[in-house]
Amino acid sequence: MSEQQLYNKDFEHIISEINNTIDSLYLTKNCYDKNKLLNNLRRQIANITMLMQNNRINTDSMIDPKNPTASKVFTPAELATYTGKDGNLAYVAVNGVVYDMTNVAAWGGATHFGLTPGKDLTGVFASCHDGQPILSTLPVVGVMAP
Amino acid sequence: MKNKTNSCPNQSEKLKLISMLANKAIASIKNGSLKKRNLVWLELTGCSGNIISLLDGVNPGFRNLATQMVNIIYDNSLMVADGEAAMEKLFSIADDDYILLVEGAVATKDDGLYNVIGQLNGQPVTAYRAINELGPKASYVIAMGACACDGGVTAAKPNPSHAVSIQSVLNRKVIKLPGCPCHPDWLMGTLSYILLYGQPELDSKDRPTMFYSTLIHDICPRRPFFDQGIFAEKLGDKTCMFKIGCRGPVTPVDCPIRKWNQHVNWPIGDDSPCIGCAQFGFPDRMEPFISYNTTREE
Repeated sequence: MSEQQLYNKDFEHIISEINNTIDSLYLTKNCYDKNKLLNNLRRQIANITMLMQNNRINTDSMIDPKNPTASKVFTPAELATYTGKDGNLAYVAVNGVVYDMTNVAAWGGATHFGLTPGKDLTGVFASCHDGQPILSTLPVVGVMAP
Repeated sequence: MKNKTNSCPNQSEKLKLISMLANKAIASIKNGSLKKRNLVWLELTGCSGNIISLLDGVNPGFRNLATQMVNIIYDNSLMVADGEAAMEKLFSIADDDYILLVEGAVATKDDGLYNVIGQLNGQPVTAYRAINELGPKASYVIAMGACACDGGVTAAKPNPSHAVSIQSVLNRKVIKLPGCPCHPDWLMGTLSYILLYGQPELDSKDRPTMFYSTLIHDICPRRPFFDQGIFAEKLGDKTCMFKIGCRGPVTPVDCPIRKWNQHVNWPIGDDSPCIGCAQFGFPDRMEPFISYNTTREE
């Protein structure tokens, strides 16, 4: 699935969540439930904002899936130098796209649930985050060499 | 200034919620509209950290629990009976109604012989046997602490006793209160709710949403430093500890509001990063707890 398709899918998913939350807000009378739903709404709006910001960054950057020669292409050996250690940035590949995890909150100290950067993590990503709107919120820095 | 930091009703109400629930349960038991339930506190393969943590709780604390809310049938650390008498008391409850609280993981190697919790009729009783016999019959099973919820420290590599979580040996709903240890409020709140209304709302991993719904990172008092890219370089720095390996962004629990040791302080408040003790995978998948020489600030 291309970046743009992912983006559209995640966008639609969050919009339908927001509509559900609004429907539930009409129905609930309990003030605690109402607060919880409003909390949800705020979180969903924050997700959409993040999605839109990253999409703008990714569209403006040099990545163009239709014209891969214009993108930065990584070999596995090159990717392996982006370890997040000793001042190196933290890059991770998923489904052939390379993401910059350097400033992604869930990668504190450039590690995440025992995983380290500089690798292709397609398999473990699918096993933990399948169906979650995550990839389209990450900054893209290039693609893996075919 | 003080008013400003204390003004968010979401935070102050969350703190009040536990005593509200416990006081309601205590009042209902006093006026007879609610019955005292039996409670079995089973310690399996762990460090007794959860019972010590509970004894540190206040308003409501252990005294409220033991005298006003439940009949504690068995607790290896606190009960008067010992030896076979204690074991007989433990197994005598099996046909009655009881809530089972479990701390510690289950050692499974060699039929559980790595953890013998007592003797009955001259035979050793393993933790493995105790959970298998008492788990299925309990009206509720609550796993307290990292070990009971997910194996935790007991199941850390190389895991010589083949320790596993409670859920791995029980084919039933287990309410999970992860944390190393479990905060007394998380337990007292969950237990009070069960006494009053039954099972509380749980997330997809069976954790009560009233405590485990928001990431530490999202309510961290140091969040503004993260948003502005101002990061601590060493322990003791007063800014965001993301670069040295803080696990707040992957740990959904209310430590920033609730704090520890009778609501006094918490790791990040004392300039040390969150180590993700209340997230599944702790400790192996939360390591390293501290990382130096990581990425540059961008």
